[in-house]
Amino acid sequence: MKRPGRGIACMWYPIGFTVAANPSSAVVKVNEDGTATLLTGTVEVGQGSLTVLGQIAAQELGISADDVHVVSADTDTTPMDTGAIASRTTFVTGNAVRLAAAEAKSILFEVASEMLGVETEELEAADHKIRSKTFPDKQVALAEVAVRAQIVRGRPPLGSASFNPPTVAMDPETGQGKPFATYVYATQIAEVEVDDETGEVEVLRICAAHDSGTTINPALAEGQIEGGIAMGIGMALEEEILFDAEGGQVNPNLTNYLIPTSLDMPKIEVDIVQSYDPVGPFGAKGVGEPTLVPTMPAILNAIYDAVGVRIADLPATAEKILMAIKEKERAEVKQLGSA
Amino acid sequence: MHHIEVTINGVLRRAEVPPETTLLSALRDSWGLTGSKLGCDVGDCGACTVLVDGLSVNACLLLAVQADGREVVTIEGLSGFEYLHPLQAAFERLSSYQCGFCAPGMIISAKALLDENPAPTELEIREALAGNLCRCTGYTKVVDAITEVCRDHANAVGVEESA
Ligand code: FES
Ligand code: FES
Repeated sequence: MKRPGRGIACMWYPIGFTVAANPSSAVVKVNEDGTATLLTGTVEVGQGSLTVLGQIAAQELGISADDVHVVSADTDTTPMDTGAIASRTTFVTGNAVRLAAAEAKSILFEVASEMLGVETEELEAADHKIRSKTFPDKQVALAEVAVRAQIVRGRPPLGSASFNPPTVAMDPETGQGKPFATYVYATQIAEVEVDDETGEVEVLRICAAHDSGTTINPALAEGQIEGGIAMGIGMALEEEILFDAEGGQVNPNLTNYLIPTSLDMPKIEVDIVQSYDPVGPFGAKGVGEPTLVPTMPAILNAIYDAVGVRIADLPATAEKILMAIKEKERAEVKQLGSA
Repeated sequence: MHHIEVTINGVLRRAEVPPETTLLSALRDSWGLTGSKLGCDVGDCGACTVLVDGLSVNACLLLAVQADGREVVTIEGLSGFEYLHPLQAAFERLSSYQCGFCAPGMIISAKALLDENPAPTELEIREALAGNLCRCTGYTKVVDAITEVCRDHANAVGVEESA
């Protein structure tokens, strides 16, 4: 008989480690046509970080993300980056990009200040223009300012910056400190059906609420969460690397190492909870790895809710679940017998 | 060596290949069409999916000589410099993919489905994609994009019919 169950799991996850140096750097160059070029050492593998970094530079400069040309992952031309690891790119590299863009912008502001007769503190960059905050009609095209900065003032609008997350050293007495720059939080709920005669689990639905700070690109963040849940489902129910006695992998292929297919994936509902991180670029934190952390415990709790067995050894295969159900039934019979 | 002639994306191509050559390696190595990906080479992942005479096939499981005289459509045949296939446009709009390695095969599988059945249910879409593994996305936005293309198609047909 198929038995329904629901489980819930919450997690926190640290972003921007500080136990070792964790710097990222960026160079931003504003071009004479009002576009910008961004140099970053970080690596795009599909997570969308170059899009997000381009958005951050664009936001700081008041231009559109399409106008930012991102050059990445080639340390012959770009700065070194600690890596596309630890869910740090938006937070750490994003901050370096924001600071570099801010430096280029401050040069543009100096030049625009003379052109408009407005103090630099009174200026803002928006809509491809530099304009007065109080009298927005006092404005000049950003491209025009960039040209003037280059060929009249001799101050090319360039910025370069590094960001290394702020640390508070651990107090040897109390053990207190700040090992990470910030934390993200999430809760996921899994709805499953467990067949108590075969031990098979079907995940019917996962609802995921994630706080990642102020989300810079919601579609990409959702994609990361959905993908993380797929990995979490695989890890919970089917994925396992098997080794032989010599340490060789027994299942180095997708016939025997199973990952979820389109048919294994349930309905996923993603709720992006907006918050603001005071250190993150425009309030953002990070989203990569934390996405799969609550998936497994939520599914295992749902299995417990459905058939009353706790599986502590992943993956929770049908075989293990069935054995646990049998074990539980035997224990119950024994108890009845001894009563 | 075998001489083969295959119509690929409407263009007749020729090659001399050893008998064990798969259609996938002929596409990639003889004809430089690297859009179809080599994921596993044994029919597990679907990254190499192409259409052969309109049917979706794992190009790593078909010998090149078996494609002799047939019509093959690869991902390169779906779009040009000026336009995207509606499926590709929808995938782009919804940010359906991440690394994109699975995308060429998945797009071909989706095309094969819609050529056959322009109004599939969600389950039919998921069944059509079941042979295309994706490590990044959870398939959610892929299914959403295909659903959107079907809806747009149904609306367009509806407009034509009521006109
Ligand atoms: S390469 Fe053909 S199915 Fe994987
Ligand atoms: S998008 Fe990376 S495998 Fe599908």
